[in-house]
Amino acid sequence: MDWDQLLSTLKQLWQGFGFTFGIFAFTILFSIPLGLLVARGRMAKNIVVSSLVRFYISIMRGTPLMLQLLLVYFGPYYLFGVSTGSIQWGPFNYRFIATVIGFSLNYAAYFAEIFRGGIQSMPIGQYQAAQVLGFSRMQTYFKIILPQVVKRVLPSVTNEVITLVKDTSLAQVLAVTEMFTVAKNLASSQVSVMPFIAAGAFYYIANAIVEIAMNRIERSMNYYS
Amino acid sequence: MSVLEINDIYKSFDDLKVLKGITLHVDEGEVVAIIGPSGGGKSTLLRCATTLTDIDSGSIKIAGIDLDYKDKKSIAAVRGKFGLVFQNFNLFPHYSVRRNITEALVSVHKKSKEEANAICDELLAKMDLSDKGDAYPCNLSGGQQQRVSIARALAASPDILFFDEPTSALDPELTAGVLNVIKELAVEKMTMVIVTHEMNFARDVADRIIFMNGGVIVEEGPAMEVINNPKHERTKAFLAGY
Ligand SMILES: Nc1ncnc2c1ncn2[C@@H]1O[C@H](COP(=O)(O)OP(=O)(O)O)[C@@H](O)[C@H]1O
Ligand SMILES: [Mg+2]
Repeated sequence: MDWDQLLSTLKQLWQGFGFTFGIFAFTILFSIPLGLLVARGRMAKNIVVSSLVRFYISIMRGTPLMLQLLLVYFGPYYLFGVSTGSIQWGPFNYRFIATVIGFSLNYAAYFAEIFRGGIQSMPIGQYQAAQVLGFSRMQTYFKIILPQVVKRVLPSVTNEVITLVKDTSLAQVLAVTEMFTVAKNLASSQVSVMPFIAAGAFYYIANAIVEIAMNRIERSMNYYS
Repeated sequence: MSVLEINDIYKSFDDLKVLKGITLHVDEGEVVAIIGPSGGGKSTLLRCATTLTDIDSGSIKIAGIDLDYKDKKSIAAVRGKFGLVFQNFNLFPHYSVRRNITEALVSVHKKSKEEANAICDELLAKMDLSDKGDAYPCNLSGGQQQRVSIARALAASPDILFFDEPTSALDPELTAGVLNVIKELAVEKMTMVIVTHEMNFARDVADRIIFMNGGVIVEEGPAMEVINNPKHERTKAFLAGY
């Protein structure tokens, strides 16, 4: 066992993990509010809106995420001749930004279906009670409905979040130097599977943390049923 | 003075005519019980009067305010004037008992927290639930939950209270507590419209009983008279089942 090599491997993976975490965090940040919006659109009374949103969801869920990432990355240039090579936003180049856009659009579709299920499972009596008490539509949604929906959908959301941690590895297709890409490069230069095993450990630990955090949130809502 | 004036209202769901010309006036301090077989339109009548469903024709006036479903201001104004108690409570499960009662006072009626809490304490005492303010609905019995929902409906000092089968979802041994609370309110001259299947309760507490069937008022009169001496065949047949 070459301890120096192991240490340098872990160090480089840790650097890659920064991007992995970035993809993860930004995707959560954008896809959850977007998912709420998409869920509303999916339930819209306007048939044009609800059909369009339904189509969007079916595309996002029915095609590979990897393909969607490639489309977001190459689309601007191939379709519109817009060059994206020089785009830079702080430490993030367009490869990274495209990854976050692709992930957010995709996960918003999954979250939207989860939220829709949660919203539609709410008994109509909750709306009626809020209505006769005089709550506005906004108050009803944010005070009465949404908090209960959050509790209902939390287990499904946890599943998606765990999947997302692992899915970040798909960013390798855009050559983002997230942890998986780093592991792959290290493995081939070292002619060793050790970097893969180490990367696997990173993902595993990350998801263990996700599970602990989500369990805490779930427990914090156990005060009612 | 009439607190509630329902004049010749009609309501259909698609092809199904549910209310076929209902006229009902309720005076201040009066208690009206509505009885009748299920499917007769009792709940629909309450939903129309409580802004939950619009009507096809006719008019509704609560506490002197005309209810116009197309006018948000009119709906908002009317909503401060009545309370509605549901068969299955519809308490907000994520709110404590106290917050169930105070939330609308604070965020709709713009009362201070202190004011809202004072009103809440008074109502909880009246409902014999003084020690339950911090409890959550899921930790209460059905009877206690229904009393909380009555307190919630009373919080904004409405001019009239509607009840839709307030004891139908309760175990028999829990109904008495809820019925007693309603009886107390009747003694205090609260104006109430109560849909119920409890005939003894209706006879004891109501000034007037209305028998509804097939979307129309078949018979109405003083409580004793309707229960003990029904005139119409349909009423007789219905009461024979109790
Ligand atoms: N939202 C609705 N859509 C369609 N039909 C309804 C709706 N609400 C009530 N109905 C119908 O109206 C009739 C009267 O119902 P309801 O008012 O609940 O009667 P009751 O309370 O006297 O049992 C029933 O046939 C019921 O199926
Ligand atoms: Mg009913």
